[in-house]
Amino acid sequence: MAESPARTAFAEEALTHLDTLYRGALRLTRDPDSAQDLVQEAYLRALRYQHSYQAGTNMKAWLFAIMRNLFWDRFKGSRKEDVSLDDVGEFVLYDKLRDEGAKPEADVLDKLAASEVVAAVEKLPPLHREVVLLVDVEGFSYKDAAQTLGVPIGTVMSRLHRARQQLQKSLYEYAVESGIVRANGAKEVPTDELQ
Amino acid sequence: MNCSDCSEKLDSYLDRELSNTEMLELQLHLEGCPPCADNYEFQASMKRLVRVCCEQDKAPEAFREKLRQILS
Repeated sequence: MAESPARTAFAEEALTHLDTLYRGALRLTRDPDSAQDLVQEAYLRALRYQHSYQAGTNMKAWLFAIMRNLFWDRFKGSRKEDVSLDDVGEFVLYDKLRDEGAKPEADVLDKLAASEVVAAVEKLPPLHREVVLLVDVEGFSYKDAAQTLGVPIGTVMSRLHRARQQLQKSLYEYAVESGIVRANGAKEVPTDELQ
Repeated sequence: MNCSDCSEKLDSYLDRELSNTEMLELQLHLEGCPPCADNYEFQASMKRLVRVCCEQDKAPEAFREKLRQILS
């Protein structure tokens, strides 16, 4: 195919969103090679359907939508995983830590390893994970996230709420397992005892 | 606004998704309610933590170059 200035300009603009797409693909597939395959396929598809992109609209959201649709088609089949987080209940990490005598932010959040936070995100069901990626990591508005995912704004809000609760529950379990906090009211272990 | 209303709208406040009036109402409640303000600070820190930890991944430079060649 002959190169055209329009095609080159489109590709260059699209590539400014590569980190967002790659991060999203990495969190969805949980595998760097699969993430690169997915992103490459998404860019090729974007180029093929370049005419359907309306200049001046949110290209990052458009590209992310292409990538996540490919993810569901290629990696998960066309049927969305129907995993509910309803059984998480109202888990409020802040209340739990405060009740247990810890200072939630200074004593707990500061001690969580980045790898554990990423692991907690990756443990979320994919439909909830992608909402966290869009809103919390990439800063999408609820409206843009809803358009990207093809769901109503209310669904974005409820998935986000459940996802955040599940994240906090996972991180609390990690904090207890690793001795950052002790369950059942005991105060946290001082940092020097952990080393 | 009471603590229950505040809790219900905290996600939207955190994500800057409320109207200006609602943002102001919630902000006023937080200023006068230390427990809700502490909870808000914690939730905001959680959101920051998730962003910072997940943002660390960048596309490898070799992959970026490969894509540039494929797309041009």
